[in-house]
Parts: sequence; C-alpha cells; structure tokens
Amino acid sequence: MTDSHVTRRTLLRYGAYGAGAAALAGTAASWDRLTGADIPGRDDGSLVVATLGPAYGPEAIRTLTEGFKKVHPDIKLRINAVQATDWSDFFAKILTQIAAGTAPDLVYVATEGVQLFAQRLGVALDKWVQRDAAELREYFADVHPSLVESMMYEGSLYQLPVEFNAADMYLNSQVLKRAGAGFPAADWTRDDFTELLRDMKKSSGSQFTPYFWTNRLWGGVVPWLFANGTNLLAESKAPGGAWLWDGFYPSAERRGRGGGFRWTTPQATDARVEESYDYLASLIQEDLCTRPEGGNGQNLIGVFSTGRVGVTPAGGFWAGGLHLAGMRPGSFDVQYFPRWRTQRMQFGAAGYALLRTSKMQDEAWEFIKFAARRDTLMRLFETNQTTPARRSMLTADRYREMGPRHWQVFYDTLDKFPDTGPIPAPPQVAEVEQVLLKHTGTALSSRRSVGPALRRMQSDLEKAMEREV
Amino acid sequence: MTNTEIPAVRPSRPAPAPATGAGTAPPSARDRGTRLLATLFLAPTVVGIVVFTVVPIVGSIVLSLFHWNVIDSPSWAGAANYREVFTDSTVLVSFRNTLVFMVLAVALQLLVALTLALAVNGRMPVWLRSVFRSAFFFPLVLSAASISVVMKYLFNQDFGVVNWALGLIGIAPVPWLTSENSAMAAVILVYVWQQFGFSFLLFVGGLNNIPKEIHEAASLDGATGLRKHLHVTLPLLSPTLLVATVVGVINALQVFEQPYVLTDGGPGDSTRTVVMVIYESAFEQLRFGEASAVGVLLFVLIMAVTALQFRLSRRFVHYQ
Repeated sequence: MTDSHVTRRTLLRYGAYGAGAAALAGTAASWDRLTGADIPGRDDGSLVVATLGPAYGPEAIRTLTEGFKKVHPDIKLRINAVQATDWSDFFAKILTQIAAGTAPDLVYVATEGVQLFAQRLGVALDKWVQRDAAELREYFADVHPSLVESMMYEGSLYQLPVEFNAADMYLNSQVLKRAGAGFPAADWTRDDFTELLRDMKKSSGSQFTPYFWTNRLWGGVVPWLFANGTNLLAESKAPGGAWLWDGFYPSAERRGRGGGFRWTTPQATDARVEESYDYLASLIQEDLCTRPEGGNGQNLIGVFSTGRVGVTPAGGFWAGGLHLAGMRPGSFDVQYFPRWRTQRMQFGAAGYALLRTSKMQDEAWEFIKFAARRDTLMRLFETNQTTPARRSMLTADRYREMGPRHWQVFYDTLDKFPDTGPIPAPPQVAEVEQVLLKHTGTALSSRRSVGPALRRMQSDLEKAMEREV
Repeated sequence: MTNTEIPAVRPSRPAPAPATGAGTAPPSARDRGTRLLATLFLAPTVVGIVVFTVVPIVGSIVLSLFHWNVIDSPSWAGAANYREVFTDSTVLVSFRNTLVFMVLAVALQLLVALTLALAVNGRMPVWLRSVFRSAFFFPLVLSAASISVVMKYLFNQDFGVVNWALGLIGIAPVPWLTSENSAMAAVILVYVWQQFGFSFLLFVGGLNNIPKEIHEAASLDGATGLRKHLHVTLPLLSPTLLVATVVGVINALQVFEQPYVLTDGGPGDSTRTVVMVIYESAFEQLRFGEASAVGVLLFVLIMAVTALQFRLSRRFVHYQ
C-alpha cells in the first residue's frame, strides 16, 4: 500500500514556492503604489507646484487648483504640499526631491531661500515680466517696491511676492491695562519699550514674562540690529534692475532701488551689534524677557493669549493665529518696532520660484501670474494667516472681526519706513542661521559672554560665507 | 547557552561530510532541494540587508570621497572631507558630546532598569507586576520626537510645569534647556525615561531565568539582600547585562531626536550630537560629502566600541 501522506519537506517546499509566487504576484499587483505611479497627476504632464504644507491646507489647494483650471483649462496642475517644520526643513525636502529626479516646476520660496534658489536653481522672470508688462502693471502698482526688491538677485527678478510679514510688536491689552500703561506711540523708543517691560513686570506675578522672542533670523535678534542701524552681514545693493523700476514704479518709489540685496562681509564684532546683544542680555538679566532657547513659536500663542506674556514681535500672520486661539479683537494690538538709532524694520516675503529643470516654463509663468492675482489672494488669505503683498487687500473690513485695531501698521511698516528691508539671507543662509542661533544662545547667557561669543560668531560666519553652496 | 540546554536544531541524520574538492560525492537531489528551499526562505532577509544596509554603507563610504551639494554633479574630494571633519571644532565637540552622552545615559538607563527590575521581580502580586511592566515599557513605543516636544514644554524655564512645581516648594526656576550646565542633563533624563523600558524587560526576563535554588543556597550560606545581588544575581545576569549594554550603547551613539527637538544642539554646541551634525551638514548645508565622512567615522566608532564590549565580556560575562 502506498503512503499517500505528503511529507513535511514536500509541504514546506510547495509552501515556499507558493509564498514566493504570492509575493511576486503581490509585488506586481501593487507596483504602481510601490513606485508612486498611482499618485494623481504624477508623470502625466501636470505642472507641479511645491508649497509649504502647514500653510496650505486642503481648502487652499482646492482654491488654487480649481481657480487655475477656470483660467487655464488646458494646463493640468498638481499642488504638492510638502510638510515641514520651517523653511530650512522645507528647502531640504525640495532639494531631496531634486536629487531624486522628481523636481517640481515651481517652489513656494520665502526670503530665507530666495537667493539660494536664484543662484543655483531658479529662472529669472525678466523676459516674461517685460513681455506681459501691461497685464502686470496693476500688480506692481499694488505691491510695495521693497517686497519686489527682496525677490531680486543680481539685477533679475525671480519671484512675484504674494505675502510678507514684518516684525512688528504685538501687545496684550489686558497686560497693558494691568501695568497702567497706555498703548505706545508710533515713534516710541527703545527706552520707552524697556520702561514698559519694567511696568509690566512690576504689576504681574512671577509666572509672567514681559517680552517673548524667538531665536531665528526673523523676529529674533536681527530686528534689534536693524533698529540699531546695523546688520549681521554687510548689506549693499546689486546694480541693475532699472528695467523693472523704470517700467513699473514712479520716480519717488524707485529712488535708491537696485538689482536686489547683497549680504557679504560678516560684522558680528561691529560695536553696534555688540551693543544690541548687550541690550538683550540686560533684559534677560532683569528677568524682562525669555532666554533665546526658551522662546519658540509653538507655545507662544498660548502664553500670549493667556496673559503670561505682554509683548512679542510678530507679523500679520499672528492676527489670524490669535483669533483662532480665542482672543477677541480688543484684547491685543500691534505697533511698530521701537526706534533705537533708526526705526528700520525687518520683513520676510514669499512667492513662487520657477526651477531651471522645469520643462513647462511658460505654463509655470502663467501660474505665477495667477497666484499673484487679487481675486486669488482674496480667496487664499481669508483667515489673515499672513499679510498679503497687495496693499489694496488690507482694509478695515478684513480686520474688523479679528483685530488688531491698528491693522494699518502691517503695511505702513513698508509705506512709512521705506528703508525697511528683508532678513539677511545670502545663498549660504542655512549655515548663517545656524551660526546665529548657536552663538546667540551663548552670547546671552550673561553680559560678560557677549564679546567672546560674538568673536566666535564672526569667525564661524566668515567660514560660512567663504563656502560655496 | 548553558550546557544543560537542548540544541535548538537537531540534525535528523548525520551531517554530510565536508566537501574537500576531489572525490566528494555530488549532492543528492534531496540535498539540492533542501538548499534551494533554505535559499528561498533566506532570500528576502538577505536581499533586505543588502539593499537597505550594505548598499547604503558602501554608498556613504564612496560619497565621503566626493564633494556633492545635490544641485551639481559630485566632484572628487579624496581625503579632503575627512581633513575638513577633523579640523571642524563643531564636529569634534559633537563626538565628545556623544561619548559623554553615551556613558552617562547608558549607565543611568541600566541602573534604573536593573533597580526597577529587581523591585518588580520581588514579592508582588502578579497583576501588579504586569501593570508595572506595561507602564515602564510604554514610553518606548511612543515617538521620540513627540515625547521631546511635550518635554520641551514641561522643561520650559519660564512657563514649564517642572519649574512651576519646583516653585511651589520654594526652588528658583532652573534653566533646564537654556544653560550649558543643565541642558545635557535634561536631554539625558528625557532619553533615559523613554529608553529604560527595553533594558527593564531584558532584566526581568534574565532574572526569571535564574534558578531559585541558587538564591536559596546563597541564603543558607548567610548571604543577605545586597550581597546576594552582587555575588549571585549580577554574575548570573551578566549575559543579559551584556546585551542591554551593547544595544544601549549603539542606540545612544546614534541619538538624534531628543537633542534636536529639546535644544537644537544648544546652548552653543553643548548638546550637539554626531547624528545632528550629519543631518545639518547634509540636509541644511548641502554638504553631503562631509556628512558622509562624519557618518563613516561614527560607523567606525560604533564598531570599535561594540568590539571592545565583546572583548571585555570574555572577562566579565558568566554563562553558567
């Protein structure tokens, strides 16, 4: 009698063959998913736009895609919202995509990356701007030249700014009242500011910090450097740009304009830089402000809205944020940054940069124009999550429900202080920012630390600026 | 493996004689089938290791010999990246920080884990033992980044719950994350709190494997609590200690999330670790060649430290 039982070995063998076949079949069946080929709009000739994910929710993406489809039904569009914690993280992810051969056509770039992209990856928009001058005249008439100039590099324009944020001062009305202080005047000075912090401190408990700031290029030490008439890096203007200024701006507004900013020689050991750091160190020692590492945007809204912080530098984006945190229009307000030697203020702007690798450059230009249109921006910036680059969009209606009362400050920072400028962001910006953060932390540990830390910062900045990106 | 254990794999028949070249019988069809089967089962793992471990390691070594910024084509650098790394004070400080972190964090982690394992292994209801095991292991399954974000709030000098609680008992606010004197300690505390659960579980398993009779014999010889643990428990637990130490050291040398989120490497460079430098060089400053050189040096360091541990284990680890 033959044994009809299957041996264990045979069972294992056929089991292995079966498992292998199943694995191969599964891999074949899910190949599109594994390679990302099933992503809508991928490799189908769509125009790909990379945006900063947290700032572009589904609603914003729908607004852009549907709006663009109405204007250009012939151009397929895919918005790729890249999740990132900040601009440097966002740029890192974009560069990784470029390295992987999946570069987008357009990238949403803030001041921090304008020169890096312009120098290494971007396409100048000059020829299209000149070609479509008649169509763009209305746009430039509505946008302050400082914002446009911040998007220029070595005489060429690389982006059309659609939003910006200047570092103004937000004040908690409840804390002001508690301190018996009035709303500061537009021309308040650094000393007025210090006195206000002392009054706030005196009238509040130990769990209260009058001034909260974040350690970064935007809104940290740099606005104080600007107010003190200095900068981290020597600042000058590149020649050129006349083609734009002469074509779009009246003579009064184009005076002193050039072909974009140049940030070159580090000057961390400059006497005024040291003086600015000394001032911040004195505020920390007096317990009037947070240490740099303690300040970060993540918990700022919470502590400001609950009255545990009195003053902080922020831009128009904060109006929307505070409203979402439950603050009523009258419970906070905004004023210009205080005057020191000057009242020059700092801003960061953003717009779409066109990449050299794009095979759809004409279509990309159409999207850039569409994204800068007033109706597009009206739909996109409904919740005051930023300051629109278009002056005409800042109206009493926009801020009636959310506040602040002095909303005009946002755009007047540019209009009333025409020398207000962008954060110092050369192509080596990532390393410059890292050096700034690192040494600011040590510089402000005590007043004695300022000098040595700034000397080390100077040495590191020199090394950073010597390096080619 | 103790000498009383049964081998995990028992050959069902004598193993074939080793092949010596000429004169050996060709493998039978059955042997060929067995080999094919073994190859089929091993293939996915081997392919995975080659694709996801070997290739990246070789790739990193090759990349460390080039300048590459993602945007342009790579250009030959030779040893330039290594020269740059050895003269960069930030890199050298990060290696020092990482070694300090490794020694302190692993020592504290093992101490906490062993103490708690001994406590939980003592006289305690079974249900309570399970509760403790789960509670101590729980932080390990959470995301290190998420934990660090929460801890950053708790340790905030001005608004943190920790300083608020200290204030209730009259202690002045501590600059946990903002002073060079305390930032590393805070990072180590957060890291150990999350990581000790793994060593704890290893120790609990190891303690359960120690025969009760040995402890009873020690008690009859007059050994009491601490002495019993020093002379009986620890030697018998030494294989487990070796595993926990090796894994702990390898993990600690690669620490990234906690210092990155809690302090961003600051104040100054006081908490900047090697993996942070690799990340910053590559993805923030676009210096992939230098980042790879640092990565290769870290790989060599981990290999050296692990080899040293196994070398020392010959003297200190007892398997019976």
